[in-house]
Amino acid sequence: MLLRHTLAPAPAEARAKIMALKQISSNKCFNGFQKVFEHDSVELKCKMKFGIYLPPKAESGKCAVLYWLSGLTCTEQNFITKAGFHQAAAEHGLIIVAPDTSPRGCNIEGEDESWDFGTGAGFYVDATEEPWKTNYRTYSYIKDELPKLINANFPTDPERMSIFGHSMGGHGALILALKNPGKYKSVSAFAPICNPIQCPWGKKAFGGYLGSDLSKWEAYDATHLVKSYPDSHLDILIDQGKDDQFLSAGQLLPDNFIAACTEQKIPVVFRLQQGYDHSYFFIATFVNDHIRHHAKYLNA
Amino acid sequence: MQNEPTCELNSKEEAADIYCSTCKTPIRAFDKLFGNHKDHEVTELTNAAEIAKEEVHKNMCKLEEQIGQMENVASHLEEIFITVEENFGRQEQNFEMRCNDVMQTLAQRYEEKLQDLGEEKKLKLEALYGQLVSCGKDLDTCKDLMETIQELCMENKKVDFIKAAVALVDRLEKFLKKDLDLELSTLPDFEDRAIDFSDMEQLMDSINTVPDDSIECYQLYYKQVSDDTPSEEQAELMTKVKETYHTVTHLVPNTQYEFWVSALNASGISPASERAVYVTAPSPPIIKSQESQSCENAALICWESGNINPVESYTVELSKVTNGENGDVITESIVGIPNCEALIQLQPRHSYLISVRAVNMGGSSERSEPVSIHTTGTYFYLNEDSAHPLLSVLEDGFTIACSEIENPECDLPSRDNSFTRCIAILGSMIPFQGKHYWEVEVEEDMEYRVGVAYENTHRQGYLGANNSSWCLRHIVTPSRHKYEFLHSGTTPDIRITVPPKRIGILLDYDNWKLSFFNLDIAQHLYTFNSHFQHYVHPCFALERPGFMRIHNGIAAPTSIALS
Repeated sequence: MLLRHTLAPAPAEARAKIMALKQISSNKCFNGFQKVFEHDSVELKCKMKFGIYLPPKAESGKCAVLYWLSGLTCTEQNFITKAGFHQAAAEHGLIIVAPDTSPRGCNIEGEDESWDFGTGAGFYVDATEEPWKTNYRTYSYIKDELPKLINANFPTDPERMSIFGHSMGGHGALILALKNPGKYKSVSAFAPICNPIQCPWGKKAFGGYLGSDLSKWEAYDATHLVKSYPDSHLDILIDQGKDDQFLSAGQLLPDNFIAACTEQKIPVVFRLQQGYDHSYFFIATFVNDHIRHHAKYLNA
Repeated sequence: MQNEPTCELNSKEEAADIYCSTCKTPIRAFDKLFGNHKDHEVTELTNAAEIAKEEVHKNMCKLEEQIGQMENVASHLEEIFITVEENFGRQEQNFEMRCNDVMQTLAQRYEEKLQDLGEEKKLKLEALYGQLVSCGKDLDTCKDLMETIQELCMENKKVDFIKAAVALVDRLEKFLKKDLDLELSTLPDFEDRAIDFSDMEQLMDSINTVPDDSIECYQLYYKQVSDDTPSEEQAELMTKVKETYHTVTHLVPNTQYEFWVSALNASGISPASERAVYVTAPSPPIIKSQESQSCENAALICWESGNINPVESYTVELSKVTNGENGDVITESIVGIPNCEALIQLQPRHSYLISVRAVNMGGSSERSEPVSIHTTGTYFYLNEDSAHPLLSVLEDGFTIACSEIENPECDLPSRDNSFTRCIAILGSMIPFQGKHYWEVEVEEDMEYRVGVAYENTHRQGYLGANNSSWCLRHIVTPSRHKYEFLHSGTTPDIRITVPPKRIGILLDYDNWKLSFFNLDIAQHLYTFNSHFQHYVHPCFALERPGFMRIHNGIAAPTSIALS
């Protein structure tokens, strides 16, 4: 495992600087390590943190990587402290990477005005509108920059990658898998925003980041993307709390997604969990099932 | 120059390609046409080889015959050997007995004579003593008289002398008149006693006579003995036998018989020998191969005893079959099985032939017809006894079908064990620990239930509606396919976008899980986490006319086995 501090680089080492990581914290957990690193992001043009769990297996061999995308208002901390995934990750030998949900400290006007747009609400798109388009490129960050960084610095098998997330992160996981067939071995989500162009959150975010061209919105909408997904080699697991306030508020719209998948014969198992809400308590309850779901494909 | 093997010396010549029957040797065809063998009979080499093989074979058969004969001779010799020993034994016994008799008789006579002599001696001595005493008395009296006479003779007074003399003469007269028995009462000689040795003589004579072994034949009697029927009712059978051994055949298996034998000669028939009791070995059991079950690691075999009366125990014998061979080589035996079933541990992915013997006091039966077990996966059969009247099992034994349903709850005739409302059937119980896997194949529009249930699940109920059954239920509504995972009447709310046509069912007794998979896309559908209190039966139900095909005895696909 390579770790290099961000000292002032010589020009010849510019590339090295870009790939350089600074360890913020490290805690031993289930015989592996939960670490947090910071780096300078090229896509987001700011310092970005991410959490990474290295299972015991990583000391002696290469591991598959499972990316977790968090939801609105979250940072890299929420998942690693609240979800209780470490035991399952250790058992199945998976590296779990949990990035932040938006660029930080960019000082863009209006970025902190609402909790569902701007800071903590990147929506995993590449913004095309000002003042967001310079920094708010979380789609490309997750798709390209982050995996490259992880693969360069940690004992990973670059061919074996999967993705999952919660709420806005669930939306992110779904669209990243659907827009990149074959890149991820499996995908799963907790209470995802399935059809953002139809719900208030999506309309607000896409309006702000992408402008008013609907065709640009559709490119980041899972329900829409499914309709043109080329094959059915995806096994999607979705858990949704039945008592989730946002479900009843029409923000999540899973039925639309299920209908589209049924039509397109995309395999989905959607579980409506009685009594559960939108919180990390809900995530913690079912995260082991999701890790096992991914392990089946990543460790095959 | 290297030493070349001899065959290479002829490499310059051509190899023999034909056979000369006249000279009985392989030759070159050239030699037949132009050489020494011109006028000889020839034949193809392969022909010649065949003929030679036959000759060898014939001789081999002759050899085998000879071996058989010699073995026969050997066994006869053994029998004679045994008979010699027996005869010796008899002679020895007889002689010993006679000698003992003689000795005993002699000893007896000795005692008797001694006693008599002793008696006689006693009598003589007593008589003599008596006489002695009496003599002594008389002697005393005589002496006394003498003294008196002498005293008298010295008496000078004539008067006193005459008185005394008269008295004395009187006494003397009296005394002398007495009959003095001067005869000796007893002679010293003992009686002449001749001991009667006549019976001993007889005995001595008989020592020399060999018992008359000229037995014409033996009569061997036998009859069945049973605790129930009194012995008079059983037929007594008899065979005449020349030898001192005989094989009795056509006896009833698993039965007690009494045997006894009498010897017969010109003078008549001997008393019967003591009765020997033997029990015949039992008949072989009959394995219920339809009801035998297996999984990757074990098999449960059931059988019928094959005997009316109880036997002591059963022995199971296994042969591991490799490449279709070795079916006769017993690799394992399990003895002392008390009931008509056995759970046997086996190795996965092998074929076995399993047979059973019944055992009683008389020995063990012949091997039963074997049953073939393949440990490729969990195998169960459909229990037609439990089927709803509208559900039928097709000829292959693993396809269930339901024809038109008008009213599934109508009063159709049903057996005690069958489902009355749910058009369902149970498979046989899976009584082995570990993981078990089977598959069902359904049409997309089929409505069905598939899962597991306890033996005692309500036959009046629906699969999944009670706490003794767990199942996946598929129904088709106007808008979509609906999937339920039912237990105790409740189901989680689950949507599945791709309706499975082939469903894999994984039962894990060790981890208390029942999982369902869409096999075509290796998709996990749902897992019940349920602490099974008993072994369960696979169960299947149809809710609409159609078919369901069941596949078992197969290994789980790797992707599923690992989950």
